Amino acid sequence: MNAGERLTDANFPAHPEKATLEGKNKFLGFWLFLGGETVLFATLFGTYLGLRNMHLDGPSGEELFSLPLVFLATMLLLTSSLTSVYAVLSLKQNKVRSLQGWFIVTLLLGLGFLGLEIYEFIHYVHEGHTFTSSAFGSAFYTLVGFHGGHVLFGILWISTLLARNWNRGITLANAPKYYLFALYWHFVDVVWVFIFTVVYLMGKVG
Amino acid sequence: MADHHKTTEPTVHRHEEIQRKLALKEERKHHNVSFVMMILLTIVAFFAIWSDKISDSFAVIFILTLAVVQVFFQLYIWMHLSHKGHDFPIWGMASGVLVAAITVASLMGMIWTS
Repeated sequence: MNAGERLTDANFPAHPEKATLEGKNKFLGFWLFLGGETVLFATLFGTYLGLRNMHLDGPSGEELFSLPLVFLATMLLLTSSLTSVYAVLSLKQNKVRSLQGWFIVTLLLGLGFLGLEIYEFIHYVHEGHTFTSSAFGSAFYTLVGFHGGHVLFGILWISTLLARNWNRGITLANAPKYYLFALYWHFVDVVWVFIFTVVYLMGKVG
Repeated sequence: MADHHKTTEPTVHRHEEIQRKLALKEERKHHNVSFVMMILLTIVAFFAIWSDKISDSFAVIFILTLAVVQVFFQLYIWMHLSHKGHDFPIWGMASGVLVAAITVASLMGMIWTS
């Protein structure tokens, strides 16, 4: 069977994302990439933890951070992680319209998260907390901004993936791509769990 | 292609299909439960800091533990690490987490002692 052929309910494999060698390779390679990303974020977390109290005469984290805003952002990202897992369930049932719907909800929640983060950063800059104001500033924007960059990349990724495959149904070629995006999105949420804990909540207790 | 296949397939196929549907229903239930659990863990973590009723040093250990638990829900249930055929991904992530822990510890140590 051609990998680009639309799958039907009759020939739908149990694991469409791993039904071809290419799919298997992507699956394994992506998990190894996530292992590497874990280390990459660890370098940023380690640096932040070492420098978080060196704010010179600028505002400290305790003065800056607003927990209600962070809580809202956390809920948006956590819910978007759930909707992307619903999309994967639709993928396994060959329901392409429902897959597209759940990924669009994921995309909108991701945009909401990004909007809140941009608003937050603009607010901080007005308070005198910038990338160059102190070691705390540099470490904060590198870590949180790098995560925000991952969210932005995910938004671009799923938009192009959906647009390119809009009328193609689910095929052996695009099933691994949808599946890997969902893995990526969960990983972005995993990193955020540590950001809200280590940066914001621990920032409040000093 | 191979007509004799078709004569035995429908019953087997139907059986497999019901099995798969049940498995997916079960999976959806797990996803929903883990979502509720993660929301609760998040609320508890925020409340622990917000309420200011717990001592700071204990609160830090407490919320870090909650974060680790929440990440296990993400990895094992939402990212399907608990499913079959995930041995290599688990090795990949475990080695990543190991190096990550050493990196965080050594970076913090280096900055503190300098």
